[in-house]
Amino acid sequence: MPAIQIDDLTRAYGDVTAVEELSLTVAEGELFGLLGPNGAGKTTTMEVLTGQIAPDSGQVAVLGVDPVAEPTAVRELVGVLPEKESPPSFMTPREYFDFVGSVRGLDDETVDERTDTWAERLGFAEKLDTMATDLSRGQQQKVMIAGAFFHEPAVVFIDEPLANLDPIVQERVKRFLREYREAGNTVVITTHDVDVAAELCSRVGVVHGGGLVADVRPSELPADETLLDVFLDRVDATVERGVAADD
Amino acid sequence: MTDGRTRRVFVEMLREEWRMHSHLFRGGHFALFPVLIAALTAGAAWLLVTTGTGPGTVFAGLHALAFVFGLHTGSIGFVGRDALRNLLGDLTLLVFTARTLPLSQDRLLGIFVVKDLVYYAILFLLPMALGTGAAVAVASGGGGVAGGQGVAEGLPAAGTALGLWATLTLTFVLGMGATIAALGITRRGVPGWTLLAALGAAVGVAVAGNLDVAAYTPYGVFLDATLPRVGASLALVAAVFVVGALTFDASARPAARTVAPAFRRWRDRVGDPVATKTLLDVHRSSGGFGKVLFSAAVLLGVTASLIDLAGQITGVSPSVGVSFGAILGLSGFTTYNWLTQSDDVDSYLVHPLSVEDVFAAKFRAFLLLGPLVGLAFYAVALAWRGGPILEALVGAVLLVGVACYIFGTTVYLTGLSPNEFLFDTGLFAVFGLAMVLPLVPILVVGFALAPVSTGLLAALGAGGLVLALAGVGLYRRSLAKWPARYRER
Repeated sequence: MPAIQIDDLTRAYGDVTAVEELSLTVAEGELFGLLGPNGAGKTTTMEVLTGQIAPDSGQVAVLGVDPVAEPTAVRELVGVLPEKESPPSFMTPREYFDFVGSVRGLDDETVDERTDTWAERLGFAEKLDTMATDLSRGQQQKVMIAGAFFHEPAVVFIDEPLANLDPIVQERVKRFLREYREAGNTVVITTHDVDVAAELCSRVGVVHGGGLVADVRPSELPADETLLDVFLDRVDATVERGVAADD
Repeated sequence: MTDGRTRRVFVEMLREEWRMHSHLFRGGHFALFPVLIAALTAGAAWLLVTTGTGPGTVFAGLHALAFVFGLHTGSIGFVGRDALRNLLGDLTLLVFTARTLPLSQDRLLGIFVVKDLVYYAILFLLPMALGTGAAVAVASGGGGVAGGQGVAEGLPAAGTALGLWATLTLTFVLGMGATIAALGITRRGVPGWTLLAALGAAVGVAVAGNLDVAAYTPYGVFLDATLPRVGASLALVAAVFVVGALTFDASARPAARTVAPAFRRWRDRVGDPVATKTLLDVHRSSGGFGKVLFSAAVLLGVTASLIDLAGQITGVSPSVGVSFGAILGLSGFTTYNWLTQSDDVDSYLVHPLSVEDVFAAKFRAFLLLGPLVGLAFYAVALAWRGGPILEALVGAVLLVGVACYIFGTTVYLTGLSPNEFLFDTGLFAVFGLAMVLPLVPILVVGFALAPVSTGLLAALGAGGLVLALAGVGLYRRSLAKWPARYRER
């Protein structure tokens, strides 16, 4: 059973089609990158997969569960780091983890233990009792990353995970993501950063105009070709074709 | 800054406000909003006058409404820093981007307040004045806007309506200024309770000294536009704004706030993590639970003033229980706003929570906060004004019923979006009608038919129960309506 199965997914917002007949399979244990320029449909795909929005057509499944029919059941199984910054408002990071633990059924002892682990891992121990609304964007991002992995889910969707983080924390997050994948979990990263995708992901799907335009394994690319080459070739080519068609 | 940038920012803010509302509410619909306001106020005024309420009471109520409206608009200062950082920044691109321009936060807030004043004066207060003036003139047999009183006397209809508009606008400005001044003073270290105590003492002295405070307000000008009254009311308005300007610092950025963990303790009592988070957000956002108490206190004061005025004019003392109960129930409207302003439903959908779970948690938080605060102030009102026990019980039922009805109606119409989304003319028309239909008859009974007979009290009690059930029913129907909308957005 694949971790993620997408068949002919289409989703539009009014007259704008964000995702069009996208088909994709992600195996368990992959660190999969959904790479694309702004407006390519990455976030929409993630929101459909996590049951936040409904598709217009197509079928999707996460760990065999249909997020359209059972959105809450899917979110029980996965972790989500949303693109839109969603700070836990006036709660402190410690309280936010209490909140996450409460909605995910973790006991207080486990919550305490994992709070300390994450605070140490990402370096925000001294901020645990500061209201999140008063934290810097980087600190808020750390809290949200920790919240996505807090219940140790088998599949995690993370949208631009390294945004606002300093280089030291970025390296810590990258190391953690690799270890998490090596432990048999599946991680899906949506990003427009080619370097991040090339460095981190075992497999990358390039999306543009709502569809998949390339599916590559960075480690298997020829020596004279980089992921950036693939990205520019497929995305620029698509744009050129679009311009020609319009003309 | 006198080089025209202030004017430019003001004009652009005004333009953005219009575009934001007309975009959110499907263009032409929003343009009809003033017409709807005029129709609603005209209908309510006509109904009140034809059922025996004096025109003077109607105009006093209208000024009280404008004052409360001003207090609420001024309460942007309550959310002050949070608003500029979180709310306005998200909602108004201009305010957000202007933070990167060479403009002080104080000036930005000042322009924003003036923009609000112009906006509300034209879109709300003018149609209110026109609608009420015309309706009262018709219902009272052409006796003029004020039934032969004050500023209206001897003036043509257009002139009287403009006079009413002027005093309503000044009253609105006074309310805005009072809130900003109060916030400025409290942020300078004067405890809020000291300010309230001082205000209470001043009112006490005025009452004891038989001093007609209202005469020196814009409402006093409406009653009798003599030069001393005009001068006094303008001086009063200027004074509160001077105090506000001297004390309010919009750019003050206190250090990052550190607090002792409270979530688990609250969760164990509240029993729901989302409801707990909601209440913590209200507690820790600027103004704390004080803003909920403030809303209820304003309604308490307004009701007391209306009861006194109605008693003076008609010679009949309105029912304390029915009047306070029904009007304090309206605090459910602001409570809904406080409970929904710090988050949105989307932010919960990354967790294993359904839209229904979030709605249920918000309703639970509302029940814990709204009716309880209303009942506490109702108890104060009863202790202060007294009243028969049966009326008191019926008033309590009405309070809870009205509060639940407002919550259910608002949630059904707008989901968990803040109240601003009621500014869709179509939605607002439905909301206004849904409020007017049950509330006007209740208030007519409370104000004009006191002492209320046992039969009418029984009917009002039953009406309160029906309102509560209707509120719960609308809330339940919203559970069927909104999840699909959120997922299909």
